[in-house]
Amino acid sequence: MAVSVETLPAMESDDVVRARRQQRTIGLAIFAALSVGALVVAHDVPDWMDSGVQKWAQDRYKWSVVNRQSSKLFTWLFNPLADLLTWAVENAESLLLALRWPGVIALVGVIGWRTGGMRAAIAGSAALFSVGVIADWDLAMRTLAIMIVAVVIALLIGVPLGILTARSDRIERVVRVLLDTAQVMPIFVYFSPATIFFGIQFPPAVVVTVIYALPPAVRLTNLGLRQVPVVVNEVGESFGTTSMQQLLKVQLPMARRTILLGLNQVIMMAFAVVVLASLLGTGDLGQEVLSGLQKQEVGKAFAAGLGIVLMAVALDRISTGEKSKRHSRLATTLPAVSTRTAAMIAVAVPVMVVVFARVVDASVFPTSLHYNLATVIDDAVRWVQDNLRKGVPVIGGTQAISDFITLHLLNPLRDFLLWLPWLFVIVVMALAGWLSKGWRLSVTIAICLGLIATMGYDNNTLLWDHAMDTLSQVLVAIAISIAIALPLGMWAGRSDRVERALRPFLDAAQVLPQFVYLIPVVFLFSIGRAAGVVACVIYAVPPCIRLTSLGMREVPFAPREAAISFGATGRQEMRNVQLPLARKAILLGINQTMMMVLATVIIAALIGAGGLGLLAYRASAKPQIDFGLGTAGGLSIVLLAIMLDRLTQAWGTHSDSDRGA
Amino acid sequence: MTSIRRKGQLAIAGVLIAAALAACGDDSTSSGDGGGGKTTGAAITLAANPWTGSAVNAYVAKVVIEANLGAPVEIIDIDENATWVGLDDGSIDATLEVWPSGHAADYETYITGKKTVLDLGRLGPQAKIGWYVPKFVIDEHPELATWEGFKDPELAKLFATAESGSLGQFTMGDPSYVTYDEQVIQNLGLPLKYVVAGSEAALLTAIDQAIADKKPLLMQFWKPHWKSARVELVEVALPAITPECEASLAAQDGKYACDYPVDELYKAASAGLEAKNPAVFKMLSAMQLSTEQQSEIGSFIDGDGMTPGEAAKKWVDANPDVWKAWLA
Repeated sequence: MAVSVETLPAMESDDVVRARRQQRTIGLAIFAALSVGALVVAHDVPDWMDSGVQKWAQDRYKWSVVNRQSSKLFTWLFNPLADLLTWAVENAESLLLALRWPGVIALVGVIGWRTGGMRAAIAGSAALFSVGVIADWDLAMRTLAIMIVAVVIALLIGVPLGILTARSDRIERVVRVLLDTAQVMPIFVYFSPATIFFGIQFPPAVVVTVIYALPPAVRLTNLGLRQVPVVVNEVGESFGTTSMQQLLKVQLPMARRTILLGLNQVIMMAFAVVVLASLLGTGDLGQEVLSGLQKQEVGKAFAAGLGIVLMAVALDRISTGEKSKRHSRLATTLPAVSTRTAAMIAVAVPVMVVVFARVVDASVFPTSLHYNLATVIDDAVRWVQDNLRKGVPVIGGTQAISDFITLHLLNPLRDFLLWLPWLFVIVVMALAGWLSKGWRLSVTIAICLGLIATMGYDNNTLLWDHAMDTLSQVLVAIAISIAIALPLGMWAGRSDRVERALRPFLDAAQVLPQFVYLIPVVFLFSIGRAAGVVACVIYAVPPCIRLTSLGMREVPFAPREAAISFGATGRQEMRNVQLPLARKAILLGINQTMMMVLATVIIAALIGAGGLGLLAYRASAKPQIDFGLGTAGGLSIVLLAIMLDRLTQAWGTHSDSDRGA
Repeated sequence: MTSIRRKGQLAIAGVLIAAALAACGDDSTSSGDGGGGKTTGAAITLAANPWTGSAVNAYVAKVVIEANLGAPVEIIDIDENATWVGLDDGSIDATLEVWPSGHAADYETYITGKKTVLDLGRLGPQAKIGWYVPKFVIDEHPELATWEGFKDPELAKLFATAESGSLGQFTMGDPSYVTYDEQVIQNLGLPLKYVVAGSEAALLTAIDQAIADKKPLLMQFWKPHWKSARVELVEVALPAITPECEASLAAQDGKYACDYPVDELYKAASAGLEAKNPAVFKMLSAMQLSTEQQSEIGSFIDGDGMTPGEAAKKWVDANPDVWKAWLA
């Protein structure tokens, strides 16, 4: 993701400058008038604005429950689909178990060798082997079976959809909103409909995983195809190829690298929802995490969670497709094989290993190789809980931090947002959008916030008020994340040693299922919004550090060298040259931070954060009563996300340029 | 020079060989956890919800059914809400522990309404949801043993946190569990703020925190619960249930101001189970386990570290008179 050096703006004539200043003044005057009007209007959202979406959703749910067995929609479409998905997962699981653990590891190794060279093969096999060491192999194979089915389906739907969006801008805009919704809508809202339509256990788990994993497939196929140079397309056309030939023989092969990145991202997203999907009764490794948490056994949950992480790492290594065969030292010491021999080895080795494993009857991962991670983790957690809560010099401890966040950050901001009349909030945010990019953005923001105002009530509380509560938490979490991540990112951007030291912590924080560290977070920070903010910060800081560091490293050395040669100190050079040039990447980092925070808001509801996330959870917990409410809450979260995403993206670009998906 | 087609052929060859190997072997993917004897016929699917009591019921039933009725039993670990969806379409045959207060809407929809699920009668244990505090709170302030003690703002302030401000904090666990607490707090005029922990795990952690700090905690909790064996929890007395309260509950008018009713835990089965396997249906209808028996088996799991299957087998072997009555 290279950041280009910004060019100087062209000099403009006096007329243009004057016209622009006039536009500005008119615009500001309009907004001033709107603000005054907003302050005069009623403070709370009027009742007539309730769009009835809650009742509509609840009625649809009721209808589905009553007509599950009788309606043709179910008997002809959903039930056969559910049966197909169950068949697919069960057979995938049987196959994986039948290959025996040495066979699966050998297979993964060989695939890694063909796609990424010896290094990928070893990394993939070692990671998968470690899964067996710290977690239950059979459960891991069940998780893997669900993942494989979900990933295959995500690709089968995603790549064609990506091709469609690459051909038409209008379709792309519509699909983009749908994909954003799919990724941000709290997964809890999908649970009940998924079980009503597809039953319990495997089918709904696959469906929910596909929904989450689909966007990268579509986005990256789209990106890859759009990046094919126009010249190449023209050459194909001039040779008389048909559209289909063009697509299959020219464009897709040229977009191959990006599409493979899409495959990699699909796998990562699928693993990210394993634990949540296991709430549907899949009985896999994700469920081990949940059952550990139920008993407050953090060590057990951690071991299972780490097993999931290692599986994800194994698949990540073999699907990255970085063929560094020619460059790694390991490759040059081994004799080079012709492609044909390599292919034969690729088939023969796993087959021989599987045969051997079945003969030896290695059906169970040997217990002698097991390492009990749980007790180690439990001890570590106990130490942290005993020592970090109170009595820490200077900062007082985590309880003191929690109280500070609640009393001095969250409460004032929430009280302020609730004190402002609802229309005034919309006008001010729209103004921010207009100043950042243009009237189009301000209209988008106004629509998003306006729709939130139509979401109705939760008992006697407006969903608007819940949204302001959640917004206050999101803003505080973003602010804290940036305050931590930017300095660390800048430091890592300038020092290789720091970056290397930080990397394992960043990887762990991002990939470990969040459920695993929720209990220690609650113990240290008490239930409530502060704990939720901390959980969001843990998740959101790593990408921000990474992108800041990357942005700083991508700044070309020439301008920095020029500054140094003119006598600038290190700090001056960083502040006046490197940071401004890294601005775009840093702003992208902030955008990603924000999306991560919004994704965690849902989980935060499970540790006392309340707000819209709690409403979404209630949709899955008490669907008979709260499905409509939860859907409205989930939609509000999506609208907040779209608004904040477009706003922060606009800060990363100027008003005349547009970023792609 | 390997073309895409060549690679494809090799890949297909590899998959075919692997599949052939898989088919050749005999694999029992169903785990036999302590089951003896031959089992034939369609598998009976029992739900085990994520608490020890539910797992105990399911595994005891599994051991007894597989040994005496010859039907294979499969146990699914699943959420208590999704269980009803499974019962509705028959993918779950029976669940052996349902808490009435939490599933009134499900009862109405599936048992009374669609009739796709049947009420198999009481399991045995009587559960009590209510207001609980750690024992050290009562030791220090005996007045707080009843709800009237909380009318005093100074005593209520002992329970205050950053989230509750100047009011005392009342902590609710998982919002999906039944709760009348907001109404009761309001109708009794108590200076408490209702705060939702969001999940049972968070609530349990809050208990640990309260005991570590000796900080008073008032919460909605229930017995039986495995946590009560580790930590002493005392129930706060709420007003006894009056006919007005019962009427208010039925009318859902928000004026409830009494204690929680006692929950008689019951069993539910899919309507198709009787036809599928009459003997199992009869046995499950007759099955009874008391709170003490559940705790005993539960202590093998939580205390001695046995798997649920092993714990169930140990108890079944030691108590033939109890389960033989279910088969009579």
